[in-house]
Amino acid sequence: MALNLTLSFIGGRCSRVFYSQSRISILGCIRHQSTIPSDISSVSKLVDTAKKPQPKAERISKAMVSYLEKAKKYDAMMLEEISQYEIGRRHLANIMGADPESFSQEDIDKAIEYLLPSALFAKPARPLMKHPYEIFPKKKMAQFGTDGRPFHYLFYTVKPNYYGLMHNIAWKVEELKKEEDKHYQVDGVFRNPPVLNLKGSTWIDKETLKKKVLENISDLEYQRFLQLIEHLVAQPFSYKEKEFIMQYRQEFESQLKQFNFPEIEIDENGRQFCKTTGKRKKAEVDLILWIKGSGKVEINGQDLSYFQSVKERNQLLFPLQFLQKTKEVDFKAEVRRGGISGQAGAIRLALSQALATFMDQATVEKMRLAGLLTRDIRRRERKKPGQPGARKKNTWKKR
Amino acid sequence: MANRLIRMNLLRQFFSSLPQWQKIPCHVPRPVLQARLLHHNQQLYSQSVIPAPENDVSTESLDLEQASLAHHDYFNVRNLINLKQLFTNRVHFGHKKGVRNPFMVPYIYGNRLDVDIIDLDQTLPLFKDALNFAAHIAYRKGIILFMSRNQQMMLRIEKTAEECGEYANCRYWAGGVFTNSSVMFGSVTRLPDLIIFISTLNNIFESHTAVRDAAKMCIPTIGIVDTNADPRLITYPIPGNDDSPVAIELYLRLFKRAILIGKNRRKKDEESLE
Repeated sequence: MALNLTLSFIGGRCSRVFYSQSRISILGCIRHQSTIPSDISSVSKLVDTAKKPQPKAERISKAMVSYLEKAKKYDAMMLEEISQYEIGRRHLANIMGADPESFSQEDIDKAIEYLLPSALFAKPARPLMKHPYEIFPKKKMAQFGTDGRPFHYLFYTVKPNYYGLMHNIAWKVEELKKEEDKHYQVDGVFRNPPVLNLKGSTWIDKETLKKKVLENISDLEYQRFLQLIEHLVAQPFSYKEKEFIMQYRQEFESQLKQFNFPEIEIDENGRQFCKTTGKRKKAEVDLILWIKGSGKVEINGQDLSYFQSVKERNQLLFPLQFLQKTKEVDFKAEVRRGGISGQAGAIRLALSQALATFMDQATVEKMRLAGLLTRDIRRRERKKPGQPGARKKNTWKKR
Repeated sequence: MANRLIRMNLLRQFFSSLPQWQKIPCHVPRPVLQARLLHHNQQLYSQSVIPAPENDVSTESLDLEQASLAHHDYFNVRNLINLKQLFTNRVHFGHKKGVRNPFMVPYIYGNRLDVDIIDLDQTLPLFKDALNFAAHIAYRKGIILFMSRNQQMMLRIEKTAEECGEYANCRYWAGGVFTNSSVMFGSVTRLPDLIIFISTLNNIFESHTAVRDAAKMCIPTIGIVDTNADPRLITYPIPGNDDSPVAIELYLRLFKRAILIGKNRRKKDEESLE
């Protein structure tokens, strides 16, 4: 809402004011860590309720009065910042010859990078222009009511959310222990309850926890959190709290996401094919693979006889044998530079990647485990002075 | 201003006419204790809460509070506890005589097998006074803070505080929470109006810093003092065992009852006024 408002009153004084205004916006916005946008309307709502005539016998604590004053100041500051940002945005659009109405944050970032190129290494030190909500830290909402009574029962510990979380975990441990006792009492025999499986995920890191509780926590406090929640997991009946525990775990990123598979294309004959590249040692290859073929192989205009030794032939046909598709696909490879084994390895990698694009997830995972999708990063080791090769020494002779 | 004067006079009358003060074998001279109490009661009304500009402080609520002071046991909290209850919940067990605090000597009944036994005849009236005071604070909508550094009972204490709508700090003492509150909380903050120490010692068996800080900020305190604790800075000391879970659970139950009685009574009285 604030955005539309400011847009309408900025009007025509764009071109002249640009320099000073945009500089203010750019310099004024030299960043702090970006935060979640705060809800400005909620603050002003509080101010409104305070202005209303109060019922008799209602008193406002000094704490609330001071908070309301602060909130008002913050609101006013944010409005001013937003209007400046809007002016800067429109001027930037004019400079870049774009439409000011549809000039997005991405366009701003590009324009700033173009107009104010910076050789500074540290990204935070480079000039930027962001929306004030992303730059000014979020203000905490009032922690107490109009009578000055805090909302949270652990308010006086200074870190109510963190300690509240610790309290909850500890309380859950107590409840699970009771659960275990009850389980025993039924028939005196203890049967193992289902095990909570936490494979494939890890505990959230300190920064994530900080964001969750919106409080600054120390390393020691983070360690205590880990100890306590692991204690909860170690309880025999921890599977009952799975939902709660999983809130504090993050999943490992799948290794397959690291691969960039090419797009599948269709040629004029209606056959699906894809193009990949591969490298090993100094060899490079561009490969095209067609599916639904007859096992035709073309390497630099020749067939498999391009490689004279069996070792290299086996090497490059291995992906096809692994998937048992020797007679089902055709491929054509243009291979440059490098030696024989390097070229064979490069083709093998490119061929595997091309095949993987047509396979389902499980097969791709098998291929990854077989090492087909991993680039061999070994390079030729340089020759050392005083010896004939990289490692080879001259025969040792005593004087 | 006039209202504040009326309040002060009321409180002065109340505290000078209390019969039970004479019984307290407290080491703080009585006039000093009274002055301190008066001072923080004054704070409770005049400093942490200011009237809204349009209307004057409601005389009705003032009347209510005045009426509550006229009665010796307005909330009937003195009936909540008896000597047998204290004894069966092991309140009389102190520590070994080697760690005895000399200021606790008047509260000690005797010594058996090297363990100090607390005189429950003295504990009982002190406990009743403390319960009465807690109920009065709850009746006046004061903030009550439970404190203790007892790891074992920490969860129970926090739970109790939550259940009766009050506050707890049984965690690491951040320092300056009362004395430097505007910096600690980032803004002007209302401090507690009563602190209940379930144990006045910290995790290394020294007097908790909050006891000293509360005295500095004139916040009244109720404290369970064991034979190894220093009772001097506690406004309402209650000699008793501060280690056994049974005893602590008894204290928590009693304070919770007293606070809830005070709060419910306030609601009832306000409804009957309307």
